[in-house]
Amino acid sequence: MSDPVGAQLLSRIGTADEVVTLRSLRDRIHEHMEGLLSEQPVEQFYTNLNEAHDALIKRAIALAEANLARMGNSPPVPYAYLLFGSGGREEQTLSSDQDSGIVYADPDDESGREAAAQYFSHLAQAIVEMLQQLGYPPCDGNVISTNPEWCLSLTDWKNKLNEWFEEPDWERVRYLLIVADSRSIYGEGGLLQKLKDHFYSDMLDNPVIVRHMLNNTMRHKMLIGVFGQLLRERYGEDAGSLDVKYGAYIPMVNAIRMMSIQSGLRETSTLARIHSLQLKGKLSAEEASSYAKAFRLFMRLRLLATERNVDGMYTNNGKLSRRKLTKVLIEELKHGLRTGKKLQRRVFKQTKVRV
Amino acid sequence: MIKKLALASGVLSLVFPTMAFAADEASSQMLNMGLNTLWILIAAILVILMQGGFILLEAGSTRMKNAGHVAGKTIFTIGLCSLVYWAVGYGITFGTDNVENETLSKIIGWGSFFFDPAIAGDPANDNYPTSVFFLFQLAFAAISLSIAWGGFAERAKLSSYLVFTVLFTAVIYPVVAHWIWGGGWLAQDGAQDYAGSTVVHLTGALAAFAATVLLKPRIGKFNRDGSANEILGHNQVFSALSVLLLWVGWFGFNAGSAVSVGDGFFAYVAFNTQLGAAAGAVAALLISWLITGKADITTTLNGALAGLVAITASCAFVDPWAAVVIGLVAGVLVFFSVKLFEKLKVDDPIYALSVHGMAGIWGTLANGIFATQVLADKVGVGQGGLIDTGSWYQLWVQLESVVVCGAYVLGASFLILGVMKLVMGFRVTEEQEIIGLDLSEHGTYGYPEQMKKAQQNL
Repeated sequence: MSDPVGAQLLSRIGTADEVVTLRSLRDRIHEHMEGLLSEQPVEQFYTNLNEAHDALIKRAIALAEANLARMGNSPPVPYAYLLFGSGGREEQTLSSDQDSGIVYADPDDESGREAAAQYFSHLAQAIVEMLQQLGYPPCDGNVISTNPEWCLSLTDWKNKLNEWFEEPDWERVRYLLIVADSRSIYGEGGLLQKLKDHFYSDMLDNPVIVRHMLNNTMRHKMLIGVFGQLLRERYGEDAGSLDVKYGAYIPMVNAIRMMSIQSGLRETSTLARIHSLQLKGKLSAEEASSYAKAFRLFMRLRLLATERNVDGMYTNNGKLSRRKLTKVLIEELKHGLRTGKKLQRRVFKQTKVRV
Repeated sequence: MIKKLALASGVLSLVFPTMAFAADEASSQMLNMGLNTLWILIAAILVILMQGGFILLEAGSTRMKNAGHVAGKTIFTIGLCSLVYWAVGYGITFGTDNVENETLSKIIGWGSFFFDPAIAGDPANDNYPTSVFFLFQLAFAAISLSIAWGGFAERAKLSSYLVFTVLFTAVIYPVVAHWIWGGGWLAQDGAQDYAGSTVVHLTGALAAFAATVLLKPRIGKFNRDGSANEILGHNQVFSALSVLLLWVGWFGFNAGSAVSVGDGFFAYVAFNTQLGAAAGAVAALLISWLITGKADITTTLNGALAGLVAITASCAFVDPWAAVVIGLVAGVLVFFSVKLFEKLKVDDPIYALSVHGMAGIWGTLANGIFATQVLADKVGVGQGGLIDTGSWYQLWVQLESVVVCGAYVLGASFLILGVMKLVMGFRVTEEQEIIGLDLSEHGTYGYPEQMKKAQQNL
């Protein structure tokens, strides 16, 4: 972190030995970051915030690993702890859940395979529990390292990818999209590199996969109507609010990811993807800057979405309440949503042509 | 063709020699009366069958725990309404004992209580026997009453249904019906309400409005910050089916209001009815799609009904293009009206206020805009509207009838229901409402298996 207070908190994370210490550090970082919310440009804010999240998660993994080691269990083979979703894209907000997995090096023999599977299942358990204590709720969709499907050796991962490639249905293509956002946060990063080498193959050009990816990408619509009106929540506690997560941010993430996959780009963060797409000539400078501008707005608005503290977990409903939607903001938002819609249409058209 | 006809009639006259003279006046009057009677009775049956639509509509739009109550009470209230209308309501609307007293007969009719019709009509003087006219009019009164129940849904006591049925059928509905249809003062002014956008629908809707205001919203409908929750009905298939039943029944409602077969004008009325309903359904789906980004089924159903309600007043007075316009406007209107009532924090579970109230007002006023002189002359009520004649007169009369009838119904309903609320209590207890009226009012569930299972999970 660039400021002295933040830097100090960050360095203390690296030396904390107890979960409770980590938790109190997270709470203090949140307070600190909330104070910075209105001061820092949104990109810098996210960089700082994700640095802090990374530090916390890394420390939690290290502590969990050390706890197991104290009981005589050390990693039998090198591994990498993976983040998917917003963690993978380095776009975590103040309240993001755990989307995670593990890839480990191939053990030599059958008994080694069993031992490794057992060890990493325990490790995942310990890490997820610890992160829960730090206020990171587990993933609703069960994309989490404690799920055996997401905790595999490199070969098993490759086999799994092959399986998804060969019989791509809607669900499997969704998993492929999740993998596209993966990032190694701890351990042997080269393992993920190898996995990604396998991932970015000509299999991705299979028309069935492309079609499913396109459908998945277009599934969430920009929440702007034909008359240019915002499509707000109509009923319930959140009546009048706008679902910025699924009606602005996610559609944009999906569209840019789609373009990036088609161009073989390995960046995971959306802004970096936009930048690379421009360098590759897939986007004009003008387009890139208008998409990036809209995306920064959505990122900023995500931070304003209603926070909830449920059982000690930092959570967020992704919705921007009516109170926070000022006149100026609404105009800005409408402009951003129109830009996003244009992007979606563009991705749809250019992919349709190829399929 | 002519040859064939001539041959056929020749053969027939050999078989039935009297047929050659069948055109004598008495038989033609008899035939006319027979056909009229047959059509009016069919129309009455269709309108009574519309109650099936209301049963499904009300049940489908509400929750499972109230389904048996909501559906069953309609059968009871139709029964009670029939008896009260027979004893009192019909006499207040169409009674002619007081015709000499011009002032009083402008306000209410008197006579024909405990109605005892002649066993058959008199073909020389009448177009149909009064017995069939009674049945047809009773069916309308019962529809108006069932519309009012929309405001009671899911929280009124069963006893209040009983008391209100009696008073509505005796003193609210018959008075308005007398004003417009029974030779009362609005009829004398030329108010055009062919089949009852005002008389039946607006009357029912305003009674529903008074009820829903006095009852206050259902538990859980509105949040503390004023935002509304969506209390979804338990069966959208019921609701859709109900709309089809009502739609079909509406041909009896509108085309039956010709109360004659004659030259087949009633088919033109039916034709306009279909156009209005169709336009309402289409407009409502499209507007909800455009505004909210989702094509809403409930809105579509409401749109079809709003189209029907709106065209009810005007079906005999307007050209086909106008029927389409009236339906389209009704479909859009109903969408915004639902949003408006929600904003005003008026809980309208069956959307009666929007579908029957707003669309009823619109349909009545639409006559003042779209009625043509030719059709007004044909029906023999009022005159052409703004577009055809350039005269504001008919629109003014229509506005007058809406405002006056609306004010009377609203005043009378608030008074009656307000007194009921004070004297006997209007709403069930919170506990009863949460358990559901099936259990609290009748002791058994409409869906026993599902509800018992749900209770065990509590």
